[in-house]
Amino acid sequence: MAVLQDELAQAMVDLDQEKVAELVKQRLGAGVPVLEIVSSLQAGMAEVGRMFENGEYFLSELIMAGEIMKEVMVDLEPHLAGGSGEHRGTIVIGTVKGDVHDLGKNIVVMLLKGAGYNVIDLGVDVPKEKFVEAVKEHKAPLVGMSAILTAALESLKETVAAVKAGVPEAKVVIGGPFMDEKVKEFCGADFYATSAGDGLKAAEAVFGGK
Amino acid sequence: MSNDKSKLLEERKKRYLTALDCGKPDRVPIGLTVSEFMAKVAGFTLQEIYYDLDKNLKALAKFVEEYEVDTFFSAPSLWWAASHDAVGAVYLKFAGRELEPNTQFQYVEGEFMLPEDYDAFIENPTEWILTTYLPRIHKEFAEPGSYRASVALIKGAGARAMELQLTQQGTAKIMEEYGVVPAGTGLTKAPFDTLGDALRGLKGIMMDMRKVPDKLKAAMEVLVPHNIFYALATAGGDTEFPAFMPLHRGAYPFLNPRQWDEFYWPTLKKVIEGLWEKGKRTYFFAEGDWTPYLERIAELPDKSIVFHVDMTDIDKAKKILGGRFCLKGNIPNSLLAVGKPEEVRDYVKRLIDEYAADGGFVIDAAAVVQGDAKEENIRAVIETVLLYGKY
Repeated sequence: MAVLQDELAQAMVDLDQEKVAELVKQRLGAGVPVLEIVSSLQAGMAEVGRMFENGEYFLSELIMAGEIMKEVMVDLEPHLAGGSGEHRGTIVIGTVKGDVHDLGKNIVVMLLKGAGYNVIDLGVDVPKEKFVEAVKEHKAPLVGMSAILTAALESLKETVAAVKAGVPEAKVVIGGPFMDEKVKEFCGADFYATSAGDGLKAAEAVFGGK
Repeated sequence: MSNDKSKLLEERKKRYLTALDCGKPDRVPIGLTVSEFMAKVAGFTLQEIYYDLDKNLKALAKFVEEYEVDTFFSAPSLWWAASHDAVGAVYLKFAGRELEPNTQFQYVEGEFMLPEDYDAFIENPTEWILTTYLPRIHKEFAEPGSYRASVALIKGAGARAMELQLTQQGTAKIMEEYGVVPAGTGLTKAPFDTLGDALRGLKGIMMDMRKVPDKLKAAMEVLVPHNIFYALATAGGDTEFPAFMPLHRGAYPFLNPRQWDEFYWPTLKKVIEGLWEKGKRTYFFAEGDWTPYLERIAELPDKSIVFHVDMTDIDKAKKILGGRFCLKGNIPNSLLAVGKPEEVRDYVKRLIDEYAADGGFVIDAAAVVQGDAKEENIRAVIETVLLYGKY
């Protein structure tokens, strides 16, 4: 585990909920810009994500980190009028219609946000029309579609086809435990992901590395 | 029962139980764990099998009539949706109610037990479930003791009794008519999953390991005798076939190794050992990847489990568990859905050659087979075993 320079980022990596809350309160009180505080938290999250990918952290740590983040963001969000502006690219993501599993999707969303992407999360059981609409509205070059149920395979294929028909230039990454080269071909997607790390790689392939 | 069918039933039972005892039967048994796929075979929508008990059983009959399997898992739907409607279940969604007629049922996870409920749960779980938990997960029980709640309780209990009786009689008839044996009887869970699935939820239990570890452990201890009893009760006392145990939060990478050792394994081991003392084997349905934990699982008494291989490294499973525990699995469900019959044949042939050669192996899919599998691919599995699977 690398030790981060920033105390707040490091408290996040240590999953020290009380310390994170205390430092955020202190910095807000001292007039530190909210964006700066958020970026410290994101740096911590990015390190947590890296440790998860390396097998040093497990889902239990990732979920804990997500909860800590969620709780402090309740206090920070009111100060973030209009969003942060700067980001590496926009990604629309959701679990396809017929499936309500969101654990995998939420992990990828957490890591993509941590890596500086603007993520539009459509939630679960998302109809294909809603994907197409969101991709058009946000002009997203990349769409992530999640499915864990193999029964949602047809729905996944239809959703990829709808997005490709509506916005031919958009790239699609499908994610879930049963994804492989065959499923990717079957669905007509551009990338497949069986882990959150694969999802990040797809984003880097589309938006370019740092 | 006709003589032919009773002979067939005995043959299949011997074949299956010999494999579970790590022996070599006449050929590798076929034990496909198939659910919604059967509705497709029978030409029913999912709404029909969730809501109509007769059609649910007919779908199973149609499947075992058309497909030469040795064991069956259950009728395609594990739920009778109407009984859940009667009590207004908030945690299940069914085709025809919230979902379209041919959509897989959905389980909606929530934190239905709160951290502050631990003490009452540990003190008397049944009382807590009746007075606190049931009203939270069923709209109709929202006001316990009210006229509405009492009527719903009678309807719900009546529906459940009807469902169990009809299903039991129906499957007994199917066993007789088609000479197939159940892959398992009875159902249970790891105590960590009992709490993590439907009570505290994933997020809740992950936080509890850090914030209230002692309460979590005490609650799991309370569940050990309950989960042993539940397996035997739902099996009607049968100890010939294994109890089905779907395993969830213990899969890699949910818990870190220290948490797995400290929270997941001790009470799970007690449930399995407790059942084994009563002569009941556990069908360890290891969904996901269990590779890092194989050495710990190998601590169990010989033959006390059937280990289901989903995404676990099958070479390691064979090396660490083989010979002492029967293995079952692991044809990828994506192959059954989008592969060609030749590819399925090659995969099954390789399973037989590399993992079943010395016995103690049952051919199955990696995960429960839903409506996406192609009929020709399921046929290819069976044909391949019949052709190459003889010992």
